[in-house]
Amino acid sequence: MAVGTPQTEVLRMEHITKQFGSVYANRDINFDVRAGEVHTLLGENGAGKSTLMNVLFGLYQPTEGDIYVRGQKVKIESPSQAVKLGIGMVHQHFMLVEAMTVFENIILGDTRSKGIFIDQNARKKEITELSEKYGLDADLDQPITELAVGAQQRVEILKALYRGCDVLVLDEPTAALTDQEAEGLFEIMNKLKGEGKSVIFISHKMREVLRVSDRITILRAGQTVETVNIGEVSGEELANRMIGRELKPSQYIKADSSGETVAVLDHVSYHKNSKHNGLNDISLRVHRGEIVGIAGVDGNGQSQLAMLLTGNIAPEEGSMDLKESKVVRFDPNGFIQENVSHIPEDRNKAGLVGNMSVADNLVLKTTRDKRFSDGNGLHLKKKAIRNYALEMQEKYDIRCSSVDQESRNLSGGNQQKVILARELEASPDLLVAVHPTRGLDIGATRFIHDTVIMQRDLGCGVLLISADFDEILEVSDRILVMFEGRIMGEYSGKNPPIDEISHAMAGK
Amino acid sequence: MGSFIANLLLATVRMASPLIFLSLAELYSQRAGLVNIGIEGLAAIGSLTGFLVSLISGSPLLGVLAGALAGILVNMIFAYATITLCAEQIVYGMAINIFAPALAAFTYRVYFGSGSELVQVELMGTLKSMLGIKSDNFFVNLFLDQTPMVYLAFVLVILTAVYFTRTKAGLNYKAVGEYPKAAATIGINVIGIKYLSCVICGALAGIGGAYLTTCYSKTYVDGNVAGRGFIALAAVIFGRWSSGGVLVACLFFGFCDALQIRLQLVNNTLPYQFFQMIPYVATIVVLAIIGAKKAGPRASGQPYRKEER
Amino acid sequence: MKRKGIGALVIVPLLSIIISFLIGCIVIAALGANPVDAMRYLLKGSFGNVRNLGTTFSRATPLIFTTLCACFAYRCGVFNLGGEGQFIIGAIIACYIATKAPFTGFPAILLCAVAGAAGGGLWAAIAGVLKVWRGQNEMIITIMLNYVATLLMGVVYTNWLRDGSVPQTVAVPDETQLPSFFGLRATVAFPVAVIAGIAIFYFLFYTSSGFQLRAVGLNMTAAKVNGFNVKRYLLMSFIVSGAIAGLGGALELLGTQLRLINGFAAGYGFDGVAMALIASLHPIAGIVVAIFFAALRVGSTTMQTATGVPTSVSDIIQALVIVFTVAGMAMVKLPEFKNRFARRARKEA
Repeated sequence: MAVGTPQTEVLRMEHITKQFGSVYANRDINFDVRAGEVHTLLGENGAGKSTLMNVLFGLYQPTEGDIYVRGQKVKIESPSQAVKLGIGMVHQHFMLVEAMTVFENIILGDTRSKGIFIDQNARKKEITELSEKYGLDADLDQPITELAVGAQQRVEILKALYRGCDVLVLDEPTAALTDQEAEGLFEIMNKLKGEGKSVIFISHKMREVLRVSDRITILRAGQTVETVNIGEVSGEELANRMIGRELKPSQYIKADSSGETVAVLDHVSYHKNSKHNGLNDISLRVHRGEIVGIAGVDGNGQSQLAMLLTGNIAPEEGSMDLKESKVVRFDPNGFIQENVSHIPEDRNKAGLVGNMSVADNLVLKTTRDKRFSDGNGLHLKKKAIRNYALEMQEKYDIRCSSVDQESRNLSGGNQQKVILARELEASPDLLVAVHPTRGLDIGATRFIHDTVIMQRDLGCGVLLISADFDEILEVSDRILVMFEGRIMGEYSGKNPPIDEISHAMAGK
Repeated sequence: MGSFIANLLLATVRMASPLIFLSLAELYSQRAGLVNIGIEGLAAIGSLTGFLVSLISGSPLLGVLAGALAGILVNMIFAYATITLCAEQIVYGMAINIFAPALAAFTYRVYFGSGSELVQVELMGTLKSMLGIKSDNFFVNLFLDQTPMVYLAFVLVILTAVYFTRTKAGLNYKAVGEYPKAAATIGINVIGIKYLSCVICGALAGIGGAYLTTCYSKTYVDGNVAGRGFIALAAVIFGRWSSGGVLVACLFFGFCDALQIRLQLVNNTLPYQFFQMIPYVATIVVLAIIGAKKAGPRASGQPYRKEER
Repeated sequence: MKRKGIGALVIVPLLSIIISFLIGCIVIAALGANPVDAMRYLLKGSFGNVRNLGTTFSRATPLIFTTLCACFAYRCGVFNLGGEGQFIIGAIIACYIATKAPFTGFPAILLCAVAGAAGGGLWAAIAGVLKVWRGQNEMIITIMLNYVATLLMGVVYTNWLRDGSVPQTVAVPDETQLPSFFGLRATVAFPVAVIAGIAIFYFLFYTSSGFQLRAVGLNMTAAKVNGFNVKRYLLMSFIVSGAIAGLGGALELLGTQLRLINGFAAGYGFDGVAMALIASLHPIAGIVVAIFFAALRVGSTTMQTATGVPTSVSDIIQALVIVFTVAGMAMVKLPEFKNRFARRARKEA
């Protein structure tokens, strides 16, 4: 395959429209890729980037529009067809079989080699050559479970290259990488460019986009805003075009951190040696009436921190104080009795009982309450529960056709509002909120932020864990950074030093 | 004492064989992500069909083939319900456990009436008898005095091991049970492999059931599978989803079964039923010792849906 | 939305029953008998007169108990397939107390019932403890315990409590037998079963503990995070479901069978699971389904006597009902299916 000149067009998507019912996820998008370039698709959550790539990769069929590969019009109806056309994709959630080794994952589903048996030697030789060519080192016999995130990503890239891709789509590739791992990725991308391959880089992170892109296509609300060459625009202009409005500084008044503490962690450790699932000598405090934001890339111990502060796990070393008295027993019910509320990471797995109604979920923890039952739970007052649910529906603007509807049928934003209603109505002293606005649109996000700030003003201490750096900056009164299970630094939320914090997030 | 042990070992191999078929059936099913607890029912219908066809045609071998076919047909109901309709696998496995034995019992009644006299059928001959060898040597008996089915069982164990560890198709197959979504994006036919697994599972379970009436016992009675289908489930867990491990597990349970029969013969004190309990209690003890299911195919038991938002 | 849900819950089993009966009729015709006649005798034999009605209720009683056992357990996500074993253990204990106790009459009945329930509960608890402390799946263990219980019963009626040379136990003394229910062939065990069903329904849907138990069954992770004592509810569901089955066994011995014998409780456990599934785990619906299938069994003996159609046809019909019901309920939940209905609803709107 001849290495194309930088002007050779490899892929073109013309007037792509994708509708889901009456919703337009993509509307009249035009996008093209040339050989040897890194072309970034820039846009916020929900702008339509993933949908467009799923169309390219054959997972969705476009409602309208055409795709041209090397000038030929094609219909891509399945991922294997996309692969045959030379399009490879590294998804945000890796498509790797954990129980298998690197080698097995790479040759999985391969149809080119002949014979029934796997020719280990021949295949391994081929793969090793590829990995050396592109600087993707990988131990072929290691099971995936033992690999760090950055290494797993390299396997995914090797997989795509092994299948002969010319265009590699990277979907939010640095979301779970450390700065060092991200650097490694950018080097690999350079090598790919050098060999004439193209990279479609999907991201919403301005800094890295400015660093690696040759061209940038901005998507907003499902439509192409424009395509620019690097160097033609500045980061701020890009950001504005991406959001469609001026980036304003936080609208919330920040509070001072003083007074009574609601939660204190004193040299707490849990699974100390685990870099991605442990806590290593953590000390922190949360005061009444303040929001402490934990910044950091997902997978640095945040989940464990949240589980600890809600009583789901117990520390292996160190101790915790809740409302100024030492915690003796770590169990969720005990913490709930002490007015600790929890907005969990995964709303479907841990937040709601999907098959139960909205009303049932709203009173999930309070069925023994006098308001909702007689005799401490011996007879549930169905009518009282229903009325309460209707009240909450109005107060928290929960959009659902009926409070008796199964909660799993609600949209993500409304599900989160149900959880919010349940957790906040208990007038908590401590609120632990983990990724509370993940996957939600701007309106729902704003609503949740407003409500949390309101609780703070009523005297609740809030620990906010989020991978969305902008959210942390927007809402926190104090910012702590977590990296590999440790607290790397503490910063004021009033005029946060963004560069310092970013460095801390990467472990420096 | 020597002959007691020798007989015990010979019996162990014979009793383990149906378990091997049933366990391999479940292995193939679970490796494709489908937990099939209806093996007991499939074996029942396989056992009845094997008996009937063997009786009518005079060929136990034909009986076994018919048993396999019966197993496949009934398991196709399970396949359709769990793969295409996404019914809960465990629940539907129970449905098969109720349906298949009822079908078997019904067929027997219709064919033979409700008489209490048990019809007998000729069993498959062993290799030793086919070759006309007359020897009492333990090793000759161990290796040659077995029906072809026994050899088949052991060959299948080896074939299965090779399939899953050395072939491309086997690797793709395993991916379906581990991470079907990823397998689909690589172009593996997930639905196809799931249906294939049900065919293999049905066939092997049917063969395991047919073994009971073509190589083990001359008569058919309702409930002759006697829980082997469930012991097979335990064997798969015990054998950690590898065909070698499953073989060891089946030999162990076969040993328990052989032991209880032999102990009954030499025993004078305890009621015989206590010995009959041995295989079942052994299963419980084994499961209690090895603890939680740690290493099964990751996506086993979960319905697979091709999603378009 | 709630109305549509109930529609599916009732329509699917109803349709399954109709289709299964149709297939049953085809089979009957293939056997050379007249399906209409067969159905007529089926109905007559089960509900045709007071005597038959009583027999139906009597036959339904143990089935109601095992159905409730399965319902209760599965509501908590526990696959208690050991209803049969727990039923038998309850009966064994009741047999001992009834035949060996120095007193008879109502106190003996009461003791038998309580002890039988306790026995069933403990038998189930074996699997419960293994699940909660060793994480071991309860399906296989409860089924193994079924076989152990059946064999144990064998020891009892061939050996320990044997009645002379016949392989059955001594009969329950007359005073300890259950009185009949309004002169029907059914005993007071029947209303006890119905009351048990109502009590379980109330517990599950009108008490806080029942609510939490259901939550554990629907989403264990969320239940744990929200402070529910998951281990306690899991154990509770094993013990209570086992106790229900044990109670059923004790009452079946005292009321209907009067002796332990080969075939006592054969198949009741799995039948209970089937019926619980057909009834979508609703206790009251479970009672209805159990009565329905008991009617099928009782009626089929009359059908066999009158038309020569073997009783096992009713087993086939019952088996077909579960095959179709579970498949139907899964189909109704499929997104494609829901979309077709939604589109039609929108058109009509």
